[in-house]
Amino acid sequence: MEVTMPSRKWAREEGTEKRRGGDLQRVGQKVKAGNGGEGRGRRSAGVGRGEGIRAEAQRGRRITVLQMGQKKWFWVWVTASLFFRLLVIYFPQNLNLGSRPEVATPITSLRRLAEGYWLKQSFMSPYAGSMYHGSPLLLSVLGPLTVKRIEGQPSHLICSLLFLLADFVTAMLILAIGQKLQLAYRQSLKALKVSTSEILSAGDIAALIYLWNPLTIVTCVGYSTSPIENLMIILTLYGACSRLAPLAAFGWVISMHLSLYPAILIIPVILLVGYGPDAPPRKLFLKRNFGTDGNDPSNLSCYQGNEVATENMLPIRPFLWKPVLHFIFWAIIWSVYVLVLCSISLKQYGGLWEMFKRTHGFILTVEDLSPNIGVLWYFFAEVFNFFRGFFLIVFHVNILFMILPLAVRLNHRPCFLAFAYILISSMLKSYPSVGDSALYLGLLGLFINELADMQFSFFLFCGYVGVSLLSPVMHNLWIWRGTGNANFYFATGIAYACLQIILVVESIGAMLNHDRVLRKKSTACP
Amino acid sequence: MAEGDKDTQSQKMKHRPIVRIGIFLISHSFFVSVVCFTAGIVALLLLPVLAKNTYVSENALMPGSANPMLSSQDVAEADRLVKDMLGLKEKSGEVGKKTPNLIARNMADLGAEVYHHKFHPQINYFHPLDFFSGSSKSGKIPENSSCAVCGINTVGIIRAPRGDGKEAIVLVTPYNPMEIELSEALSVALAYSIISLLTRVTWLAKDIVWLAADSRYGEYVSVAAWLRDYHTPAFGDLGKLDAGMCPEINTLHEQNANAATDRRVNTDFSRAGTMAAALVFKVVNEHEETEKDALTIFAEASNGQMPNLDLINIVNYLAVHRQGLRVKVEKIYALLNSVWLKAVGDILHFIDKVARSINPQWKFAIPLEDYIEGAATLASSMYHQALGLPTGSHGAFRDYQVDAVTLKISSRVSLLNKSARYEFLLRIGRLIEGVIRSINNLLEKFHQSFFLYFLTSPSKFVSVGVYTIAFVLLVVPLPIVAAALYSGDNGWDSDSTNKTNPASKNGLSTTIESWRWLHAAKVVFIVHLWGAIVSLLPYLISRLHGMTPTTSMLSWVSLSICTLLILYQISGSPYLCSGMPQSQHRQWAIMKAVMIAAAAIGLGIMSIINFATAQIGALMVVPMCLMAHPLKYVHRLGRLRALSLMACNLFFGFVGFPPAALLVTRVWSEGCNGVNLGDFWIWLESLWAWNSATYLYLFLVHLPCWVLSLHILFHPC
Repeated sequence: MEVTMPSRKWAREEGTEKRRGGDLQRVGQKVKAGNGGEGRGRRSAGVGRGEGIRAEAQRGRRITVLQMGQKKWFWVWVTASLFFRLLVIYFPQNLNLGSRPEVATPITSLRRLAEGYWLKQSFMSPYAGSMYHGSPLLLSVLGPLTVKRIEGQPSHLICSLLFLLADFVTAMLILAIGQKLQLAYRQSLKALKVSTSEILSAGDIAALIYLWNPLTIVTCVGYSTSPIENLMIILTLYGACSRLAPLAAFGWVISMHLSLYPAILIIPVILLVGYGPDAPPRKLFLKRNFGTDGNDPSNLSCYQGNEVATENMLPIRPFLWKPVLHFIFWAIIWSVYVLVLCSISLKQYGGLWEMFKRTHGFILTVEDLSPNIGVLWYFFAEVFNFFRGFFLIVFHVNILFMILPLAVRLNHRPCFLAFAYILISSMLKSYPSVGDSALYLGLLGLFINELADMQFSFFLFCGYVGVSLLSPVMHNLWIWRGTGNANFYFATGIAYACLQIILVVESIGAMLNHDRVLRKKSTACP
Repeated sequence: MAEGDKDTQSQKMKHRPIVRIGIFLISHSFFVSVVCFTAGIVALLLLPVLAKNTYVSENALMPGSANPMLSSQDVAEADRLVKDMLGLKEKSGEVGKKTPNLIARNMADLGAEVYHHKFHPQINYFHPLDFFSGSSKSGKIPENSSCAVCGINTVGIIRAPRGDGKEAIVLVTPYNPMEIELSEALSVALAYSIISLLTRVTWLAKDIVWLAADSRYGEYVSVAAWLRDYHTPAFGDLGKLDAGMCPEINTLHEQNANAATDRRVNTDFSRAGTMAAALVFKVVNEHEETEKDALTIFAEASNGQMPNLDLINIVNYLAVHRQGLRVKVEKIYALLNSVWLKAVGDILHFIDKVARSINPQWKFAIPLEDYIEGAATLASSMYHQALGLPTGSHGAFRDYQVDAVTLKISSRVSLLNKSARYEFLLRIGRLIEGVIRSINNLLEKFHQSFFLYFLTSPSKFVSVGVYTIAFVLLVVPLPIVAAALYSGDNGWDSDSTNKTNPASKNGLSTTIESWRWLHAAKVVFIVHLWGAIVSLLPYLISRLHGMTPTTSMLSWVSLSICTLLILYQISGSPYLCSGMPQSQHRQWAIMKAVMIAAAAIGLGIMSIINFATAQIGALMVVPMCLMAHPLKYVHRLGRLRALSLMACNLFFGFVGFPPAALLVTRVWSEGCNGVNLGDFWIWLESLWAWNSATYLYLFLVHLPCWVLSLHILFHPC
């Protein structure tokens, strides 16, 4: 316990950091970190640490002024995005997004949910007739809202407003995660004595990307429950970033309950809770601590502050078992709670087993072969029945195969690891929709500083624009005109999957490259 | 996009072969694009040569395998009907009601199920989004339409003795009951004679629906209204059709007079299975002095969709080989005397001669007349597909995935002569009987043969696999040049190649090098957004009353310009110069790269929606995009290149503007007089009235590209 003291404090201080804001305190904290005690940065900042701190403080103030202006624009854009959604919600008939296979899948369609609710109201199992495949809890929450109509307003207006709210909350949580990540990034850069000119506020950018992404907007107004699922996933990440074990566990359990695939997020969440937010590889810190261990004055010169006070020890963050156990404990509690609620809700209709068969079983066995933007429907429509079981295993294991290598390679960046997992699962899941890509594209914005040198960004952008326009056209050609066929639509599905593969490869490559550059610079510096 | 080649280390590294090919293409982008573009145009000119002979692909059709059964007795009956119909016209009274009743009575006499279908002529509203909302043509009936303005279709259905009532063949004869002419009466009578035969035959496996379409509000409207009601299931009282909206206002004496027949004429809408195919036929009275009767086939439906080629094949086969008719498809007659087309044909002949002198086995040229004829037909086929308007009432069927053609039949002699009329009716009747018998053999819907093709003559076609080559060759320069411009190696200027790398030197890049296209993308996005707004503006303008086409056009143009200025006010100037003084890539190059990428995406998607539009559009957009170069930097090139580049830019800058292009074609085809600004408005009105995707293409792809090229022309840095 005593050994882990500095880092514990460091972790705890993150919470207080946000309240004070500004760069000024950060220096103080670092200085204070070695002194023991509570580490309230503000008081210790003025203890006279020399010129560097004052210069830093001035710069901090300038940045704060600059940020004020940016903040104003940020909120203007956030409000504008919400108003834009309201505008689109008012003209849903013209767009008819709810029936598009790209937007609403059998799992997330609100129309199916309304059907399930109707079945339940007439004392039948909501899963009768293979219409509804979602969670019974969602049915109890959203179901009453689907039947409420306001005179003269579009149907499902209340649900749409709820999704709008969910989008807003998700964006705010992304903003908070971004601030935490940025803080961690800045601290680790400082610890490694790497100077950078400017760090973009990733949280703002990511939140705006999420809010203004056309795919998010389409999902929000397209009668799909994806905004809720996305909210839960982001809630998990937020809870883990701020080490709020109950919150993280709640988000994880609910999101797993809703769509199963976020189950793999347990690894990044545990890493996040254990190690804290993203940082450069731990080896780097070790190297600095022990490689330049002596009292060589030259290694101090490249950093302006007097780092002698920090006892030459950089914050190595060991794995903390206590919050992890805390998280697991809460996860168990929440899952028991959810299961009890579900069993109460489905008491007359087959109980929990029926629920698992119709929700998670439906996801795993790919029963619905209606076209979507994924690649599985086409394959399972073609495959012979006696091979079906085998290929089901192969396709699902595909996701699991990627988990371990990525976890090993990216264990120092758990948030990015979560992004990679979400991206991979949205590529290989059985009923993907554009809501999934909206989520990972939003998360991509969080790593804008690290991925600045990502290759093929323009190509990927053009590819996403092209595929998202091509997909409805091909669908029209196949279903309505009859001049195309299923291959046409599936071709866009393959192109989409290829784009996602390029995105995941390039982003992970850029991230590792970034780490490499950091190592080079931190070793070159002294 | 080889942007990774900045690193000096990676330069030493051996690239993989595919990457090396990519880098080679990009570094020679100018040469590659010139070659590809020329090859594309050559391939386009070669299409008439590459056309293949049509063949009946579906074995089940077996056209002409049975002898026609239509006898002169059926024809005599038909002639009686012609006389009755024409006689009705001479008598005064409500011809508009009596003619449908007469037809219905005759149908009922044959033992068909008969009903009248009343419909309202629809006012075409502006809805550009209909293309994507699935089954378009949402039947919205204006509330204030009085029952006086409604047409009456007469529909007769023969149930097949050997069928299960799940499939049907539709015959459509448009006629105008208000002023019926001999030719229209003849086409109705023709259908009558065929129906009278078909009620007696034993081989019929599909129900036959005869739609005598009331064409007083246009041929298309009546057929479209009937089809809409046919495909809209009515549940109880909720889904009352058009017919139910008008109370029966038959006067008493009329009811008494026709009581006997009216009992057989149903009032409710009855149906017969899914439609396997539909034939629209009409006799026209424009007899040319030729030795054969002529049959013109019209096939283009909305947005360049074509019926299955097998349908055209069997019509063509039976008409030519069984009935000895002369089959035509439409062509652009102006091209037949075109000098340069002759020159191209001559060049082809010359090449052919040279090739044959090398190896006598090589033979690819076709006779010069055939080439010119084929080119003129191909041009017409392409033009009609590109316009996206159906060429007849068969277009309504294609919206419901039913293959349909219109057959326009003209006689070689005057039809006033009775024996000539008999002979004519017999011949055409046997043709249609043969076609019906063929379709009757069909086991599924038409699927075997091509849907995507151009006709170069009734018996020759260019399939999708061939004509795509021309398009792909035209469009391939776009991504290559975009990649070249983006990676800063654009072959136009030498000074951009000796680049320095301030950013990647200090590792954590100060300027986000990989994302430097974001500003250009913003400008391109805003211009495209503007295009979308401009395409929606007519919705507002058309709601205003008392606007002439010219004033509408003027207000549209001024509103568009205002919108563009407002958008720039909101988003900031499209030109960003001061941001990065040392940036290695000039801003205009990146902007051009993004514009070209957007144009490539737009053209690619349009080629799937309506190939002909994309093909013709590519001829215009591709050189316009590739040539765009800031006038400020033109002088750095050589004098000759600078002059030619400037001339090309100005030319495309003028012609690329859609109204200017239309104006030029109008002046070229009709002379200077009578051309005014409102023409463009009228032309566009026809486009959106038919939900043509060409309209969307013009305003979402072409116009933004034009604006962006102008931007680049006047780019300051």
